[in-house]
Parts: sequence; structure tokens; C-alpha cells
Amino acid sequence: MKKTIRFVASTALVAGVSLAFAQAPAWQQGRPAALKDSKLAPNAAKMTVTPAAEIPLNKLTLPPGFKVEVWAEGLVGARQIAMNDDQSKAWVGTRGIGRVYEVADYGDRRNVRVLADKMNQPGGVAFRNGTLWVFAIDKVLRYDGIEANYGTNPKDVTAAFNLPKQQHHNWKYVRFGPDGKLYVPFGAPCNICEPPSKEYAQIRRYNADGSGMQVIATGVRNTQGFDWHPKTKELWFTDHGRDWLGDDGPEDELNRLSKPGQFFGFPYCHANGVADPDIKRADACKGVTLPVTTMGPHAAAMDLLFYTGKMFPAEYQGVAFVARKGSWNRTKKFGYDVVTVRAGADGKGAKIVPFMTGFMSAADNTFWGRPSHLAQLKDGSLLVTDEQLGAIYRISYSAAAAKKK
Amino acid sequence: MKLAGLGRRFLSGAAALFVSTAFAQVSPDRIAACGGCHGPDGNSPVPGVPSLAGQPRVFLENYLVMTREGIRGSEVMQALLKGISDPEITAIARHYNGLRKRPVAGDTDAAMLARGRAVAEKSLCGSCHLPNYYGQEQVPRLASQREDFLYEALIAYRQNKRPGGDTIMAASIYGIPESDLKAMAHYFARSE
Repeated sequence: MKKTIRFVASTALVAGVSLAFAQAPAWQQGRPAALKDSKLAPNAAKMTVTPAAEIPLNKLTLPPGFKVEVWAEGLVGARQIAMNDDQSKAWVGTRGIGRVYEVADYGDRRNVRVLADKMNQPGGVAFRNGTLWVFAIDKVLRYDGIEANYGTNPKDVTAAFNLPKQQHHNWKYVRFGPDGKLYVPFGAPCNICEPPSKEYAQIRRYNADGSGMQVIATGVRNTQGFDWHPKTKELWFTDHGRDWLGDDGPEDELNRLSKPGQFFGFPYCHANGVADPDIKRADACKGVTLPVTTMGPHAAAMDLLFYTGKMFPAEYQGVAFVARKGSWNRTKKFGYDVVTVRAGADGKGAKIVPFMTGFMSAADNTFWGRPSHLAQLKDGSLLVTDEQLGAIYRISYSAAAAKKK
Repeated sequence: MKLAGLGRRFLSGAAALFVSTAFAQVSPDRIAACGGCHGPDGNSPVPGVPSLAGQPRVFLENYLVMTREGIRGSEVMQALLKGISDPEITAIARHYNGLRKRPVAGDTDAAMLARGRAVAEKSLCGSCHLPNYYGQEQVPRLASQREDFLYEALIAYRQNKRPGGDTIMAASIYGIPESDLKAMAHYFARSE
């Protein structure tokens, strides 16, 4: 065991038996004695195909004038979407099933095929200048000329990115920024801990070939979505709060990076200034960049997209959409929706408004879908991946439909 | 606003590949093939081969998918499941979920059993696997599973050789000595 990981679990020792190991499992580090008997466990993934006919779209609610349809189906565990420039093709990352899907859009229909398989959680996909990058926990593949070539011969460029050894929270979400650099997060390998080395709990950017690595944000526990503000070009990103501090927090975050190198608090300071009870330091939140807004307890705030399309009403210009995959470490389910965040370019005055709801039922504390990642189509409609049912939904708007209501 | 029904103007071409999942039956030949190693009633008589009886349906389904995908399982299992459809996987999972798990035979080492229980309780295994270790949803049943298989699986997690689920299991046994993993396998195998 690495000495630098601090043992923070406080479970009772069993009388008469000395237990040599001191490292708490990553998912329960920081779990207090009071929650020892908790039955909260991560939600089960669905790894078989769900035909579109079995998706209860009629349970979803959107503001007047908006409509949702199934854009693509059969993409088990669908997460991040990357698209080529004319959007004739989309690539979709996954975790458990180990696949990357390719969706070819023919306008009136779409074909789905498996581009890559047998990978260890290939969650991150990014496209630029004809090339696709796929990031798994332990591997990076580059598909040159992916649009023309059927993509059967990727180059393994893992070595260029110096991926760390610990796997927990190190499945990826990756994007090219407006500066042409590839942005890659490296999560904390625990629920709460002093990370075992400086490679974790940060966002880095690289040149596309892996050179010129720069750590641009630290103290980031686990981000699975970011975008650049349309006016300021600053990076905004979501971050998942730690578990096992009860139902109400600490909440997830929506952060804004106003200058490279900012520190976002993990493991000492969470949400809007909550000092960690397990990993303590004097002035826990000193020097910490606090979030634009908190995103709700255990909400699993995933992808973030600033809307710049022309289809939605003018009030949606520059608004941030955030997909919240939904909670597991909470007695009453929370999230399972897509919300809008309206805030100033400086991050002030943020207001969260539900946009797409109905994936969960508060009445019986169940869910059927988990909105995960987002993409904006050229016509201004919005794509939302559902990791639970392996579908991509398309949300469009019609003023005429709005008037009918 | 409630949305109008399914906006299914756009049907993915992939849809044609999928048969309805509702009424798929598992073929007797397939079950006979499984039973060759896993036991006709899902209680495995073969060293290193897990029992399937009484495992949660979602766990079995996920495991079979991951094996078909070449992420988990032995080469033999991957070859047997090559190209199997999702509905057939679901049917197999239902079949074994419905069979009764029988206790394992074998001598009990009282000290090892106590050690295994203590380590399991401290590790809070019962949170996800439930206090009776019957498992739930995607989380497998440990109670009455073969001891040799449990130990091999724990070692494989330790070596990052069981990818595909979450990273939670590998993280959950981080830092636990192998002698304690062995004791846990002894204990779980003797839990009924």
C-alpha cells in the first residue's frame, strides 16, 4: 500500500481479530460508522440492447414546443459523442461493454456499427481534422482518415499520453479546445483521499500528438463533461462531489477556469465551500476556486454544452445545458434529467432550470434512463445519450408546436 | 408538457438486427453445453468453474455480454458464446437465476472462517453483495460459490484482469493481503 494514501474509513474493528490492511475500498473511503449498514450501491448498468419500441419516451417532459425522438438505438452504454465536421458521422464512447460505436447519418435513417471493441472503458472520443481519438482507461487509439477509411487500423498512441496506473475515476471524457489542444481529465482514484501521486485529480491539455502536456486545473475529483464559453472561450466543466457524507451533499459542481492552474479544492474543500471532514487542512477552502453553481447532491452532473444553435428560442442562446445522470449514493434518487444553467459570462448569478425530466419517478424511487452526454446538430437540435438504455435522443423545437399548447 | 408518443420516424438500421427480447427461449442444447462444466443444475462440480444457480439475472446477463465481447471469461467461454444474441443471453440468465444454489461440500477451517468473516465485514462487502451475500442486480452472489473460483476471481481483480464492470471491485480489495483474500473465499463459500 502506498503510504501517501491516507486511511479514512472508520468502520468498527471486529473484536479479537487484528486486520493488517488499512486501505479502505475506493468507493467507501470516508464512509462514516453511521453509514456502515447502508445498502446504497452503484446502479446496475444494462448491457443488452433496448429496442426503441421499448423506450418510454412518453414519460419525458420538455418545455412547450420541444419534441424528443429516438435518433439512434442499440448503442449499449452510450456516453460521449464526437462528430465529424459535416456531422455525417458520430462516434460514441462507452464504459463496461468496451465498445466505440460509429453512427452514420443518412438523414432519414442511421446505421450503427461497432468501430472498436474489447477495450477497457473507452469513454472518451474526440474528432479533429479527419482524425478520431479514442481514450480508454489504459489505452489511446488514433484513427487517421476515419471518414474515408473504415477505421480498421488505428495507431496505438498510448505512450504519448502517460496515463497513470490507478484506474478508478480514470475513464475518460476528452475534447479539443478552441486552442486546438486536446483536453483530458485524470480523476481521483478514490472517493476521498490524498491522491497517491500528482498525476490525479486534474485536467491536462496536450498537443494532438501528446506533446506539450500542461496541467491546467487541479483539485478536480471527477469531471465527465466540459465546454468552452461561446463569448469568453473560458473552460467550464462539471465535477462530481464525494460520496458517503449523507443525502444532501456535498453537491456536484459546475466550474469555470478563468486562468490556467487554478485549484478547485479536492480533497480539502467541496461544492460551495464545504471543508472535508476526513482529509483536513487549515483553511480548507483557502485558494480554492469555488464553482459557478452547485449542481445538486450526488446528481452525477455529466456533460456540459453551451447552446449556440438557431433552432431553439432566443432565450437559449449561450445557455449551458447539463446532463445529470442521477444519484446512487443517496436514499432518494436525484437528478436523472437535463437542466439549463443561465449565468453571466463571469459565472455570476447562475440559475438552474429543469429542461428534460421524467427519467425517474420520485413516487417509487426508480429510474429508467440516465442522460449522459450532449451534442448540438447543425440544424440547432440537441442530441442526448442515454447510458442506461443505449439510445441517443434528438430534441428539436417548433414555434408552431409551442403555440398549439 | 407531455410529449406525444414515440417519434420513431427515424429507425436505426441496427434495429433490424434485434429480435424482440420478450419471449426468447433458451435452447436445451445450449443449457446442456453449459451444464457440462457448470453442472446440470447450475451447481458446478468442476474446480475453478463457478456455480451459476441463484445468481442475480442482471449479473449473469452482464457477465455473458462481457464474455461474448471478449472482455471477460476464459477463451473457452468466449468461443462458446461467440455471436450469441442478447435475447438468448437474457434467457440463459433467467434460467440460471431460477435454479437453486446448494451448499458446497468440504472441510471448514474455523480460524480461516473467522478471519474471512472479519475481513469481509470490515470491507463492507455486504453493502453491495447484501449481508447474506446473495448478491443483487449487477452484483454477484458469493454465498455457496466455489471457494477456488472466488479466490481466483479476487486475484484477477487485484491484477486488473477483470475489466468491464466498474473499477470498484479492483479498488475494493486494494491493499488486502492475499492470505485474507483466501480467507474471504473460504468464508463466502461456506455462507448459505
